[in-house]
Amino acid sequence: MVHLFTTLAEPLPFPLAERLLFIALALASASLFLWRLLPILKTICRAKRDSDFKLFPLHRRVADFIFEVALQSRVIRQRPLPGLAHAFVFWSFCAFALVTLNHCAVGLGAGFILPNSWLGRAYSYFAAAFALACAVSIAGLFIRRFFVRPRWLGEHVSVESGFIALLIFVLMVTYLADFLVAEGTAAAHGLWWLHTLALLVFLPLLPRTKHLHLVLSPVTVFLSRGEFSKIPPLAGDEDFGLVAGVDLTRIAALQAYSCVECGRCTEHCPATNTSKALNPKEVILGLRAYLNDAGTGSSEPLLGKHNSQEAIFECTTCGACEFQCPVGVEHLPLIIGMRRGAVNTGTWEDERGAKLFLALERGSNALGLPAAERDKFIQKQNLPVFDGTQEYCLWLGCMGAYDPAGRAVVADFARVMNYLGTSYGVLRKEKCTGDPVRRLGNDLVFQQLAESNLELLAQSKVKKIVTICPHCVRTIQEDWKEFGAPPPIEHHSEFLARHMSELPTTHSGEKIVFHDPCYLGRYRNVYDEPRSIVDRAGIRVEAERSRERSFCCGAGGGHAFLGEESGDRISDTRAEQLTATGASTVAVACPFCHTMLRDALTGQGGNAPALVDIAQLAARSLPNSTQSSSS
Amino acid sequence: MKIIVAIKQVPERDAQMRIDTSGTWIDEADLQWAMNEPDAYALEQALQLREAHGGEVIVLSAGSERVQTTLREALAKGADRAIHIDAHDLAQRDSLNAAQLLAAAIKPEQPDLVLTGLQSDDMGYGQTGVLIASLLGMPHASLILQVEKTEAGLHVKRELEEGWLQHLDLPVPALLTIQSGGSKLRYATLMGIKRAKTKELRIVPADDLGVPANQSVQLEGLATPQKNTAVQLLTGSAPEAAAALIGKLKFEARVL
Repeated sequence: MVHLFTTLAEPLPFPLAERLLFIALALASASLFLWRLLPILKTICRAKRDSDFKLFPLHRRVADFIFEVALQSRVIRQRPLPGLAHAFVFWSFCAFALVTLNHCAVGLGAGFILPNSWLGRAYSYFAAAFALACAVSIAGLFIRRFFVRPRWLGEHVSVESGFIALLIFVLMVTYLADFLVAEGTAAAHGLWWLHTLALLVFLPLLPRTKHLHLVLSPVTVFLSRGEFSKIPPLAGDEDFGLVAGVDLTRIAALQAYSCVECGRCTEHCPATNTSKALNPKEVILGLRAYLNDAGTGSSEPLLGKHNSQEAIFECTTCGACEFQCPVGVEHLPLIIGMRRGAVNTGTWEDERGAKLFLALERGSNALGLPAAERDKFIQKQNLPVFDGTQEYCLWLGCMGAYDPAGRAVVADFARVMNYLGTSYGVLRKEKCTGDPVRRLGNDLVFQQLAESNLELLAQSKVKKIVTICPHCVRTIQEDWKEFGAPPPIEHHSEFLARHMSELPTTHSGEKIVFHDPCYLGRYRNVYDEPRSIVDRAGIRVEAERSRERSFCCGAGGGHAFLGEESGDRISDTRAEQLTATGASTVAVACPFCHTMLRDALTGQGGNAPALVDIAQLAARSLPNSTQSSSS
Repeated sequence: MKIIVAIKQVPERDAQMRIDTSGTWIDEADLQWAMNEPDAYALEQALQLREAHGGEVIVLSAGSERVQTTLREALAKGADRAIHIDAHDLAQRDSLNAAQLLAAAIKPEQPDLVLTGLQSDDMGYGQTGVLIASLLGMPHASLILQVEKTEAGLHVKRELEEGWLQHLDLPVPALLTIQSGGSKLRYATLMGIKRAKTKELRIVPADDLGVPANQSVQLEGLATPQKNTAVQLLTGSAPEAAAALIGKLKFEARVL
């Protein structure tokens, strides 16, 4: 029969020899810990400063720290059960702060939490509750990692993580077992030493394993760049992006060392999910391996031994990786940074990529079509020309001006605006916003396009912009800031949602699934506005991967203009996911998604769902509406 | 190999062109300018030869100050230095006179190879390159797609009609006029542009070359083409009409 004591059993005070042994072991453990940690801190601090880093405003950083670190919000929300288990392990570590201090103090004969006092007892119950939760959680996580073996943790089974899980388990169990033994007994003495050894072995293991995140990740989250896909400006004439180790900044190095290898980024990556070489987790770990190998003073190219150019250019910049990361790693600036390093120095050789760059060097649009085609479209569609007096400038974008599907969307959106009596006009001389070249890392062409367009907007006295393309919205609002002051811009879904009540409703009763564009959802946090339009047109169903987990259509990151030779097609994969909902119509809000899914759905054959833009859904309800074909 | 590439700056393809008040040229007010496309291929060819065999690539262009932008672009793509022949009277020079001007600038450099584009995107005479060769007394070949350096000189591939190709061997020094599409153009890079700032761009006033403006060919006028539609009715049985249609598409409309 096991006797449960109501107080924690402390051992009898130790003789001097034992105390000295404890001190010696503790010093050895701490020294080994520091000896392993300091080189990493040195590497991070030796890296060059982030030229655009601003500590203030602090409130954003503090809020992120509270939600993501203290409350483990991302850890739990994106993977609920294992996330909660991890949260308990983390909270136990925090709850155990005083326990651990007191434990060491007891070893020196100076224990300050009296087990028999009211406060001491209350605290010990509090800690015991967490210890129990932690022990159960860590056991569960161990079973998950070693027996269930989810794909995203990788194929390699890490012995050291198993050992550390065991140590944590021992720490918790030795604490709980103190309630089962009597005070001052040999058992209590033994438990004390077992707990101590577990602690002292645990400490030096931290720096060379992913458990370094215990030390680093709260700092990483606090010091993060803060905005989604925040691409730093190039600093000076010799900065071409992330070419070699010398270009890695402190934040980049800090993030590389913080990766916990959880695989959440990989789980949601469209490239990894279609069997391509790119694996976001491996990108970060590749940077870490590079830093361990060559350091921050090296001129060895980053794209070489530890990261491949092929993989880096497979990224569609959908952002699912960065969105998921619970320890503050920001993948996009790193991936785009490495692309910049390759493109700005001319080491990326890709036939279609070169064609895209040349088209935008010489011409005005990414499709390489003559500007006269745009004029013809404007005339044929009777779009009003912006003359400085209208409220809105309707930015066509390359797809809206030249692509047949994009043009159909513009036409329907214009009909809606006409019906609403909105005053708007289009510019005659738009150039590409530069989104594809920006995400591919061509800063030369991007700067030329941004500056040229900003001048045009200023000259034309544009005050407000609305557009059908989320890539244009993002690029104009955020990326152009580096070169001037872009006017406020919104996406047509935000405009339509605001005016929904003024439009007639035609509810068709059909099932419609909305595909969240990456650049509208994750990049801009707009999920509900397009859904409000869908709700007025039919019965909305959701794909398994929706909202912030939406699966990319494959066009981002310049990929609408590049080839896709390896693995499955991202667009086909997404089309299958959408069709699996049983919807008879797929609704999109981005002309790139529209083009990609049109081809993918056509490939599915006769029973594939129809495809419309939300502008077309809204326009359907207008009087004298002809069902405009979207393909 | 010392290679000189002669480049012309022409109105951008996308430009909306209007005929000016005199009726003899286009209104240059709103135009954007770019490197002549065949010249871009000539530059690419020169750069590839330098990458393979070492040497120097010099770019050369005649015109007003605005041609310096195009010269800088060439430097950004990898040319070593540039020569700007400062001339404001190109409209008063015909192909022969322009060739004389360029030849006068090329001669003192004594290059191993001179490359020009096959023709210009604006006037399209296709003469300037071969005229320069004649003036410099150089062997030349035109419509070149590929150039290889050999022991004795150069081995080139020429594009002829109907898909025929001709291979020639030439000694150096020589002049070649380069056809578009023979190689893949490299894109301009940020690093290239930054490096170009420190490369030499020498300005040579046209007067210093001793070639006054002179025209033996005069441009009398420019007009926009009149669009008319014409209908040809193909008679005969379906197979006959189909054969006739294929013939028209292949040899008249040239879309097959």
